[in-house]
Order: sequence, then structure tokens, then C-alpha cells
Amino acid sequence: MILGGLALILLAVLGAPLFSIIAASAMLGFYRSEIDLSVVAIEFFRIAEMPVLLAIPLFTFAGYLLSESRAPHRLVRLTRALLGWLPGGLAVVALVACAFFTAFTGASGVTIVALGALLYPALTQSGYREDFSLGLVTTSGSLGLLFAPALPLILYAVIAQQLGIAGNITVDAMFLAGILPGLLMLALLSVWSVWTARGQPLTSFSASEAKTAIKEAAWELPLPIVVLGGVYSGYFAISEAAAVTALYVLFVEVLVLREISFKKLPQVMRQSMVLVGGIMIILGVSLASTNYLIDAEIPGKLFQTIQELVSSKLTFLILLNIFLLILGTMLEIFSALILMTPLLLPIAIGYGVDPIHLGIIFLANMQIGYFTPPVGMNLFIASYRFGKPVTQLYRATLPWFLILFAAVLVITYWPALSLTLVDVYGR
Amino acid sequence: MLLLVATILLASSQIFLRNFLGTGISWADPLLRLLVLWLSLMGAMAATRDNNHIRIDLLSRYLPSTFKRLSQKVTDLFAAIVCILLAWHSARFVYLEWQDASVLFSSVPAWLGELIMPFGFAVMALRFALSVFLGRYEKKEEV
Repeated sequence: MILGGLALILLAVLGAPLFSIIAASAMLGFYRSEIDLSVVAIEFFRIAEMPVLLAIPLFTFAGYLLSESRAPHRLVRLTRALLGWLPGGLAVVALVACAFFTAFTGASGVTIVALGALLYPALTQSGYREDFSLGLVTTSGSLGLLFAPALPLILYAVIAQQLGIAGNITVDAMFLAGILPGLLMLALLSVWSVWTARGQPLTSFSASEAKTAIKEAAWELPLPIVVLGGVYSGYFAISEAAAVTALYVLFVEVLVLREISFKKLPQVMRQSMVLVGGIMIILGVSLASTNYLIDAEIPGKLFQTIQELVSSKLTFLILLNIFLLILGTMLEIFSALILMTPLLLPIAIGYGVDPIHLGIIFLANMQIGYFTPPVGMNLFIASYRFGKPVTQLYRATLPWFLILFAAVLVITYWPALSLTLVDVYGR
Repeated sequence: MLLLVATILLASSQIFLRNFLGTGISWADPLLRLLVLWLSLMGAMAATRDNNHIRIDLLSRYLPSTFKRLSQKVTDLFAAIVCILLAWHSARFVYLEWQDASVLFSSVPAWLGELIMPFGFAVMALRFALSVFLGRYEKKEEV
């Protein structure tokens, strides 16, 4: 058992596809328990039994379409026209635009590539220091993970639901819970930007520019209103909102604005489905491995072992933060969620942590894991995209990292921030 | 690709029907969920082709290139074996459902909907095996 486990870990770090590792461990487990291995196929088929999963391909496709079109340009122009007159305005613009964009596309470096390329030159030209600008665009690459309809929020709710121990944890509840913590991060970073940028020359607010920018973005403006309004008011189910988004974005970008040609469309579809396939196959096999874990009562045993070492909820939360931070630098967010939620959730419940709160802690930690030195993924993406050495990025992102780390601590140790809205509107 | 378009259209028309006409097509929901499964496996096959699966990949970045080629062969062989097992066991699952003649919705037999699983895994196994013997399919540079 231990030998098999070690071999699997070795294969994983050597670069075997994650799904094959999880599938192998599930099959190994079932084989030892003398359970027929077709159970793996039966569990995998459960992908076709969860209605909420429909949202994943649809939102992913919409996000890819948006990032391939000129929507990022319009988004930056619009926020700039509306917020650019503030001191530090451009920096705040960058933060808001990135958060928004990441929420719709899911954090996977897309934001840095699509928006960073626009914002970084704009920032340096307006007289912001190079390090400040670099740090800002790199940090913003994962900002917005906590806002609906970000995929990780959906995925966490799906996994927690199918564990069946977390009570009624819905995607809607996760969407509600993410709002305040997300705003906290955004606010702290904005304050820092404004403070750093004091003494910058101000551009005055121009009503005509605002008007053209609004007109230019007229087709995309209804999108967040329809999606967020529809979901939060309960008018749409999540998968319905995803369908509306996908259809609408397809209609606007291909037929109305014609920024994506019919010829290019299959390519965008294929790209988005490669990502979906990569996530879903891991989800599918992990349904099987989770089933095995529960069968073998592993989460319970794990909790007992940990409880002997860690007595208080507070210590548990501190260890959780450290663990997730390290995890976040090594694993990409989707695989981290699929792998760790089934193990962490029962333990966290054992310590009296609310499942919804745990999800927010998890994602907030993952978010800063993206640019935690030395191996956070977005550091490398930004280094590659802007042609700067990674060491300069370590330095540039440090203040941003510290601020968001403080935010993560607040989020972790102040559950009400995540849970108030859920208690008021949900459950 | 057609699958995705079909999914979007079916999902949207279902919303339209539900909200404006107060009805719905009874087989649309199970079909949509099935389409998600098909999309997932098609995507996974494409990801295999592009050599673009999610990996942890901590160590291999730092390996010298000869060793790297070897470790690629080993991990691809491993993935191929896992995929063969998955294909075999899902084929057995499909066969059982065929014997039981179970039905997914209206008159669509369950085995037809589940057929994508053995098929998808078999294709992936083949691709992984090919890359063991012929080297990895070089991904074209994307701009």
C-alpha cells in the first residue's frame, strides 16, 4: 500500500497526467477491497447525473470567446472612463477590470495574457513605477476568483455536495459567500494603489469619453447584469445562466460585432473544450476515488490522527493556511480543489468550520498561491509575457502579496465575513 | 464541436420554454447532462492529443533532457495502462447495461449514452501508447 502510494507520487511529480494518478489510486484501492472495478466506470458516469455541471463547459466557452474578442479593450476603456479621474485611478481600473474578467474566465493565467498586455503599458506610460505596475498586473491575474460566476466556486460546491456530509451547500450559497471577502481584497488593494499613486497627475473626468466608452461596450454591458442579477435573484439556475451567457456571447461576438470569424470559431471551441475535458476527467475519476475514501473511512481516520496532534480550531486554521498556501503554489486550482476538498472538508467540519467558510478560505489561499514565490504559476506567466526576470517579479509582487495575505488571514479568522450574506439571503 | 453548439441551443431553448411557455421537453434535461459527459470525454481526448493534460509536474522541469525523455516515456506508458483499464472496465459496465436493457430517457438505451466512456478511454490509451513509441506529438506554437 505504502509502496504503491510512493510509486504514484513519484509518477505524479515526473509529470504523469493527474487523472491517471487518481484513477490508478482508486482502482488500486477498490482492487484491494475486492470490489468489482467497473465501479470506477459507474462513478465516472455520475458526471452525467449532476445538472449543475452543465455550467462548466458553457461558462468556459463564453470566457474563451470573450478573451478572444476585443472585449478586454472595451472593458479597460470603460472602467478607465468611469474611474480614471480618481487619484490612483488607473491602478484601481486595472484591479476592477481584472477582477471582473477573471470571474468570467476562471483564473488560469488568461487575465494576465489578455488584460495585462493592455494595462501594463498603460500603467507605465502614466508614470507608475515599473515594479508597481508589474506587481499589480501579476496580482490581478487571480483577483476575482471569489466573484460569481467563477468556476472554482461552482466546482467546490459540486464536490462538497457529492460528499454528502456538508448539509445543503449550493452553488448559490458559494456565490453569496464570495462577495464580501472578494470586495475586501479589492478594497485593500485599491487603498494601497491610491496611496502609492498620490502625487500622480490627475486626468479629469470626461463625459463625452464616458459616453463613447459606454456606447462601445453597449453589447457586453447587459451581460453581468443578466448573469449576476439572474443568479442572485434566483430567477436563473446556475446552468441556465451559463447557457444564456454562452448563447449571448456567441451571438454578440460572432454575429453582431463579428470580432470572431466563423472560421476561427471551431478553434476557440476546441481550446475551451480541451480545458473542460482536462478538468472533467479528473473530476470523473475523483468521484470514484472519493467513493473509495469514504468507503474505507479514510477522512474519519485522518481526522482522528490530526486531532491527536492539533487540539484547537485556531491551530487547525493556522496549519490549514500554511498547508493551502504551499499547495496553491504547486497545484493549479482545479486539481487542488478536486484532490483536497474530499479530505479537508470532513476534517474541517470536525473542527467546527463551516463548509461554506472552508470553501472561501480554500479559494482565497489558492488565489495568493498563484503568485507566491518561488514557484507560483502567475509569476512565470507574467515573466514570460512581459519579458522580465522572475526575480524582479518576486520583488515587485511582494507588497501585493503581503496585503492579500493579510486579507486571507481576515477571511480565515472572521467567518462572519463569508457567512453573513449566506445567512441573510440563503440557506 | 457540433456537440457544444447543440448543448448551447438545447439548454437555451429549454430555458425559453420553461420561462415563457411554462413547459419543457421532458428528455432535454437528461440529454443535456449526457452531453456534458460526451463533451468532457471529447475534450479529454483532445487534451491527450495536444499533450495538454493537467499535471503536477514538479520534478520534470529540473531534469536533464535525456532523463526527461525517459520519464516522459514512463509516465505516458503508465497513463496508457490506466486508460486501458478504464476502457476495459467501462466496456464491461456498458455490456452489463446492454444485457439489462436499461433505459436512460424516452427510448434511448443506457448503453448507447455510456458508449463514449470505453471509446474515449480506448482512444486516449492508444494516443498515450503511440507517444511512448513515437515520441510526444509536438504541439504547434500558439500565437
